[in-house]
Amino acid sequence: MTDEAAPPLEIHGISKSFGGVAALRDVDLVLRRGEIHGLVGENGAGKSTLMKIIAGVHSQYDGRMTIDGQRVHFRSARDALAAGIGMVHQELSVVPDLTVAENVYLGHQPMCAGFVDWRAMFEGAHEHLASLGIDVDPRARMGALAIGLQQLIELARVLFSGARIVILDEPTSALSPPEVHRLFEVLRGVRASGRSIIFISHFLDDVLAISDTVTIFRNGRRIATERADRIDKGWVIESMIGRGHEELEGTYTHAIPLSSKPSAPVVMAVRGLGAGRAFTDVSFDVRAGEVLGIYGFMGCGLVELARALFGKLRSDTGTLSTDGRVLRLRSTSDARRAGIAFVPESRRSMLFYGEPVYKNMSISVLGRIGRMWLRPSVERDMARRHVEALSIRPPLVDTLLGSLSGGNQQKVALAKWLTWPPKMLVLSEPTRGMDVGAKEDVVRIVKGLRDQGLGVVVLSTEPETVLSLADRILVMKKGRVVHEFADGMVSKDRLLEAA
Amino acid sequence: MTKVGAFVRNQMRNIAPFATLIVLLVFFGAASRSFASLDNAANILTQISVTGVIAVGLTFVILCAEIDLSVAAIANATGIAVAYFTLQESYVNIANVPLPGAAAIVLALAACTFLGLVNAVGITVVGIPSFIMTLAMMQIGAGISALLVRGQIAYAVPDLVTTMGAGRVGGMPWIVLVLGLFLLAGHIVLTYTRFGRYVYMVGGNREAAEYSGVNVKFVLGAVIVISAVCSGVAGMLGVAHFGSAQQNEFDGYLLDAIAAVVVGGTSLFGGRGGIGNTIIGLLILGVLNNGLDHVEIDSFLKILIRGLILLGALIINVYVQSVRDAERTGSG
Repeated sequence: MTDEAAPPLEIHGISKSFGGVAALRDVDLVLRRGEIHGLVGENGAGKSTLMKIIAGVHSQYDGRMTIDGQRVHFRSARDALAAGIGMVHQELSVVPDLTVAENVYLGHQPMCAGFVDWRAMFEGAHEHLASLGIDVDPRARMGALAIGLQQLIELARVLFSGARIVILDEPTSALSPPEVHRLFEVLRGVRASGRSIIFISHFLDDVLAISDTVTIFRNGRRIATERADRIDKGWVIESMIGRGHEELEGTYTHAIPLSSKPSAPVVMAVRGLGAGRAFTDVSFDVRAGEVLGIYGFMGCGLVELARALFGKLRSDTGTLSTDGRVLRLRSTSDARRAGIAFVPESRRSMLFYGEPVYKNMSISVLGRIGRMWLRPSVERDMARRHVEALSIRPPLVDTLLGSLSGGNQQKVALAKWLTWPPKMLVLSEPTRGMDVGAKEDVVRIVKGLRDQGLGVVVLSTEPETVLSLADRILVMKKGRVVHEFADGMVSKDRLLEAA
Repeated sequence: MTKVGAFVRNQMRNIAPFATLIVLLVFFGAASRSFASLDNAANILTQISVTGVIAVGLTFVILCAEIDLSVAAIANATGIAVAYFTLQESYVNIANVPLPGAAAIVLALAACTFLGLVNAVGITVVGIPSFIMTLAMMQIGAGISALLVRGQIAYAVPDLVTTMGAGRVGGMPWIVLVLGLFLLAGHIVLTYTRFGRYVYMVGGNREAAEYSGVNVKFVLGAVIVISAVCSGVAGMLGVAHFGSAQQNEFDGYLLDAIAAVVVGGTSLFGGRGGIGNTIIGLLILGVLNNGLDHVEIDSFLKILIRGLILLGALIINVYVQSVRDAERTGSG
């Protein structure tokens, strides 16, 4: 009973909120047959919420969705799959230890008398992959293949399981230019076969190169839908951040001044640092009393770079030195001893939820309080000072950390390093998931540390975070530093354009 | 009312073992006339001593959410090593290397330290899971024991070891005093030193400990070596206590030591518990083993009963953890 003339996917007035906060407001979207539809917007603009609704992950929402003209309301991801909607996530869900063919056939291998029919599987996989223009041995082990190829095979699997609409989430973030080119070839083939693709990406050049239509989201609203050949990158960025339209919306829409400090002594020098596929040839200096911001999209190597600076991840090439001494970081305790402090993006991997606040705050400085013996009264006094200075609620140092609110937990994570300030502070996504008040507190604390003469590195995928903290900004793209904003003015659109 | 409920839930880990101990004491006291006596209390303490010294080291390991399956094998190898370096009676047919007593003890201690270091390197440097690494060491320890005595039995150990393992001072067995000393030292290290705090933090959230600049590998290696040294001391004491050194002498002690730590309420997931819990666990096991001998009961049934008690303790151990996790996510 499908209506051939009806679009494969149509969305009418979809709204969705989480705990009173609107994530999507009255969104419309039409996906045509044989169309590649680019979806762009900043983090939190509503793209991923909409995709989760389409893929059946969120089943509570207002509004209407039709597939081939038939009204649908998915209760689960399984429902969406059955209706022909497939998704390829940024983090691939391939099984690295199985062969290519097994990955293509995952969950429904051809059987023969109760056994897997290997011959049929290898031949079928080969045929299917060849039809998409993917040239790979179906007997090869998945994990041995390059990421770009693994991604194409996952795409093939999604199509093979019957998907007529494929959602690609940040498909080019980990790919080299030739791999992007090959992906686009395959996508054009899929389009030619009449199937439709939703292409979500921060890489606006890629979106504009492959999409037929581009839809722009901002603050949970669909701002515009245009044909890709009628628009350019500058216009897309302006629409995404809303310059000139809603002046009050973003604080950092307009240019902010940078102030590098070329005369201050270098605290940390990084030269040609590289680690596997994650990042390559990264070099920079951090000076005393300066905040170096490093901005990039999700998956550009920021997370790994941050870990390498703290000895959590081993780098293969290059050097890292503090105060002119080259460090060989074999463990995080080496980094701590060299005066480097680190706050990871996830509180969960930083804090001890079952322990009281004061033990969380003292863990990194116990050796300074007493070489062998613990001195709980000193720990508590120290913790009380931090609790007061950072206005942590409730102001009790014996409270279990797990009973604090998220923002207060983040303050405890920072307080760990405040008693004996280190020389260098590395912050990965310091304001992720925080409300405005908590963000302001973090900005205040970090700037206070900078003014005490610390060198600070802030790595973030949120432009506001980098802009609100940094005195100098590096932009990373696919594992490399591609731009530096050292002096003069910088604004969010300049930053987005560089990445 | 809810406050009391929350307190009971929070302290379940400590309350449940203590209640179990009381119930067992009351039960055996009522069921047997010979159970409740001062002599028998001393008996129980003596019976748990060898297990207890092993359990002190194991408490460190389990607090870090690791396991050491080689404790009994290392105890056996160390006990045999100390006898190997002692002059044996002429009828003992072992080609051994007699040395002065002090040298024998030092060599035996060096041997168990070395085996612990091998464990530590395997786990922290090579990256073998402790469960597998110490399983291999269990075989290695058994192999060393077999090679040294070759199916024979040695009897003589240095005088100091004999005194500690089998002697008495003022009516009190030395071995109980040694256990007390180890328990005290273990408690002090875990509660009052920086290293002890690191043990709890590494067990509580290993990743967070690493991001706080704690040398996690060093802590893990150290607890494994501590466990091996405690096992070695227990092995020497045991050999003196039993009056002989032979293969497979400590086979039952692996399970007993793990049971003592876990029954006492130390979390298998790490970060919770301590020597206090281990003491209660040791007493539960000791009272149970001893008490079952005082009541008329099928000796084969005893094994089953011990298994059921251990299962009960494991259920409580895991259940308490899940209650904690649920409360944490509920409020965090």
